[in-house]
Amino acid sequence: MYDYIIIGAGVIGSAVARELSKYQVKVLCLEKENDVANVQTLANSAIIHAGHNPEPGSLKARLSLWGNLLYDDLERELNIPLLRTGAFVVAHGKEEEKDLDKYVKICKENKVPGYQLLSGQQARKIERNLAGSITKVLSLPSTKVTNPWEVAFALMENAIENGVKLKLNHRVTKIIKENDFYLVEVNHHINFKTKNIINAGGVASDDIGQMIEIPPFKIKGRKGEYYVLDKRNIGFINHVIYPLPSERGKGVLLTPQVHGEILIGPSSEFVDDKHQASTTQKGLEYVKEHSKELAKNIPYNQIIRSFAGIRSTSTYDDFYIQESKYNKGFYYLGGIESPGLTAAPAIAKYLINDVIGVQNHYLINNQFKPYRKAKVEFHRLPLNDQKRLLEIEPKYGKIICKCEKITEKEIIDAIHGLLGTHTIKGIKKRVRAGAGICQGGYCEEKVMKILARELNLDPLDIIYDKDNSKLFLSESKVEK
Amino acid sequence: MIDCIVIGGGAGGLAAAIEIKRLGHNVLLIEREDKLGGILNQCIHNGFGLEIFKEEYTGPEYADKYIKLFLREKINYLIDTTVIDLYKEEDIFIVKTSSETLGIREYKSKSICLSTGSYERTRGQISIPGDRPYGVITAGSAQRYINIDGYMTGKRVFILGSGDIGLIMARRMTLEGAKVLGVAEIMPYSNGLNRNIVQCLNDFDIPLYLSHTVTNIKADDSNHLKEIRVMKVDDSFNVIKDTEIDFQVDTLLLSVGLIPDIILLDQLDVEIDPLTKSVKVDQSNQTSIEGLFVCGNALQIHDLVDNVSKESQRTGKAIDLYLRNTNHSNKKISFIPGVNIAYLTPQYIDFSNPNEKVVVSFRPKKKIEKSLLKVIQNDRIVYEKKKMFLLPAEMETIELDILHFDENQPITLELEVIS
Ligand SMILES: Cc1cc2nc3c(=O)[nH]c(=O)nc-3n(C[C@H](O)[C@H](O)[C@H](O)COP(=O)(O)OP(=O)(O)OC[C@H]3O[C@@H](n4cnc5c(N)ncnc54)[C@H](O)[C@@H]3O)c2cc1C
Repeated sequence: MYDYIIIGAGVIGSAVARELSKYQVKVLCLEKENDVANVQTLANSAIIHAGHNPEPGSLKARLSLWGNLLYDDLERELNIPLLRTGAFVVAHGKEEEKDLDKYVKICKENKVPGYQLLSGQQARKIERNLAGSITKVLSLPSTKVTNPWEVAFALMENAIENGVKLKLNHRVTKIIKENDFYLVEVNHHINFKTKNIINAGGVASDDIGQMIEIPPFKIKGRKGEYYVLDKRNIGFINHVIYPLPSERGKGVLLTPQVHGEILIGPSSEFVDDKHQASTTQKGLEYVKEHSKELAKNIPYNQIIRSFAGIRSTSTYDDFYIQESKYNKGFYYLGGIESPGLTAAPAIAKYLINDVIGVQNHYLINNQFKPYRKAKVEFHRLPLNDQKRLLEIEPKYGKIICKCEKITEKEIIDAIHGLLGTHTIKGIKKRVRAGAGICQGGYCEEKVMKILARELNLDPLDIIYDKDNSKLFLSESKVEK
Repeated sequence: MIDCIVIGGGAGGLAAAIEIKRLGHNVLLIEREDKLGGILNQCIHNGFGLEIFKEEYTGPEYADKYIKLFLREKINYLIDTTVIDLYKEEDIFIVKTSSETLGIREYKSKSICLSTGSYERTRGQISIPGDRPYGVITAGSAQRYINIDGYMTGKRVFILGSGDIGLIMARRMTLEGAKVLGVAEIMPYSNGLNRNIVQCLNDFDIPLYLSHTVTNIKADDSNHLKEIRVMKVDDSFNVIKDTEIDFQVDTLLLSVGLIPDIILLDQLDVEIDPLTKSVKVDQSNQTSIEGLFVCGNALQIHDLVDNVSKESQRTGKAIDLYLRNTNHSNKKISFIPGVNIAYLTPQYIDFSNPNEKVVVSFRPKKKIEKSLLKVIQNDRIVYEKKKMFLLPAEMETIELDILHFDENQPITLELEVIS
């Protein structure tokens, strides 16, 4: 019998798992995908927002402001990457400047730290590529950028170290309520018993609710499409650049990433199929068109990738973080769209301490270890450290992904880590092999061979991301 | 101190290193892979060497010829070693390498010959919309998987782009038992050599869809490629409505262009040519940084390896001159691509060294049946030649005599269409 089962291992499920591991509770996290951070947490803007957008008084406002602060703790404790970029919300001309004042007011009410108005000229002194048509700018210095997968990995790894169990490839298919516990059915045939359920299912959180009751909200998937600019454009812009928000969301942005790329996007389009994160001609064109209003001479010819993510926008117009009204011990984390990444560490604390009140039922875990060792990013280390490491581990000398300078040892560590992986995409998410300008053209074959060797697999069984997405159909010249 | 470090051990690096060594200098060649030969190793089809050896070889055979010559010269070389950093301190280049056996090392050299080849454009760079399944791979990656590793990515194949590697792979996959359903090319003409269109598509009844492109990609439940959509485009490359053809395929090969790999030069302030997507050079293939030379596909994309070898040998000779001549004066004037020229090299002509002929390589912007090639300086036609059947897919070379030019005015190359 578990005390808590968390459904979903996105950044929210992972944050909740870690927060719960601070208590003497038996926790299981069930994830339908074969990796952590594969859905919303995989494809977003990676911004830790300052809080200029959410309605004052809303949960979104409160938790994103708090979450923004908590990221400084995560950086220290879990060694997640943070880029303190600051952000500019830009206005073009008198009409938009009036709108900007609205956001100044929100900043004031939400107590956004350090916000400030700049003239277009002042802003262009700081960001030389800002569009000439921009006349006024709201500066938000507390805005940061992170790597959302790394955040989820770090939270989940730390949770596992502190006793949480994680099961991947475990899709919750049914929930049955018994007298004082729940039976959670997985993949139509395994059952787990638990006293409480935390539904962190992202875009599927309404469907999971549906398994025991009529959920209090419905998820309406809203797609966002992006372009990725090669990291050699680092410095093209250094702040997150927002247009004025609209009812469609925060609009198309320019966002510097922790490894030097710049994201252009997202678009915003409601979709019928909330599980279909494909890019579209229309969406990508929208992104290109609207980004032109933010900066001049965006080097579109240096795009190396495009992708899409689906936001879990809900019919309830705030985060829905509550216990079920009908089923005690069943907790919803619904409608966790943007700023969900920002709010994640605060959402976990709010749920555990305020909504659930775990401290009233369980003892504190005195053994809780808040720290996670930084993973080695070999080619970011000073030469002396590199030389020292090379003496112990010569495989740090072997470069596999030459665009990102990723070594064989880093890949081997990713395969055998706490959250090991057996997929090409899993390697890319963990160490960035294949994330550079050639997109795996040089190194995919080498990564494939390392996976096969380390996991003792036939190359024919190596998969790209989902189970069955095999790289190869057969050996050549062999009839099968 | 090393006289010249050659970075890259493919066709270009081998030919350059051999020449520099023969002319009496000490050379170190550094190669990332575990063997010399570069991309030739995976090109097991024939068609290599006709110009240099007057005989047709396969890629590995051609590479082998050069590797033997290279080894005979007793040139120092490192394999399994990646150059991770390249910079210049005063007059000396510092090359930082990383390998499993030697760890991180630094080498100092008077000159550099960069012959790092090219990488393939990917789906991301041409932004094909749709799902992101496995099975959409560059033609070169598929070639390596089949020819070196012995694995087939699938049995039903479509190819986007009619670049030579794509065409070769159409035949290769067919011979391995796959069904190649077609090749789509966004331009109204093919981007591959004519002989490859004939030998790889026509001979196997593989249809070529000119003025077509892939507009959508669909995955199956396991995120493997299931279907692609192909549509016709108009003269400005906009897709034309109601021209959809859907193909059920498990592999989409992309042969949509090669880009010179000069990532190593990021730290150096080198002058770049947006047309070649590489560096600007003079007729010795020297860049705007003294002592830094570039050749092979890292300089410009070649159709034939023979031309890479010749160009690199020339570069080797130029490096010899550079190393002998410590007094480097600089009298460069611009050589400019004019009407109907997609790009040309060299982008500068250096008049301080006028004893060599200047070998000019260029590609036309479009297919031109009959034309007059003109080299113009000061409104004066200095050189003129009739050219027939020019294609963007086929690189042209001409030789110019430097003595016919004035040392102070820019020179332009253009193609006048005649009927
Ligand atoms: C385009 C876009 C841009 C965004 N930009 C930002 C931003 O810049 N800043 C910011 O703060 N936020 C941003 N967000 C929001 C942020 O990404 C999300 O709020 C956050 O990732 C939500 O995390 P999650 O764990 O709730 O969801 P997810 O990451 O989707 O996790 C849910 C998990 O539940 C699993 N699951 C579902 N059903 C089942 C089942 N039956 N059994 C087992 N497991 C199941 C899923 O597989 C998934 O892993 C953006 C979102 C999108 C889509």
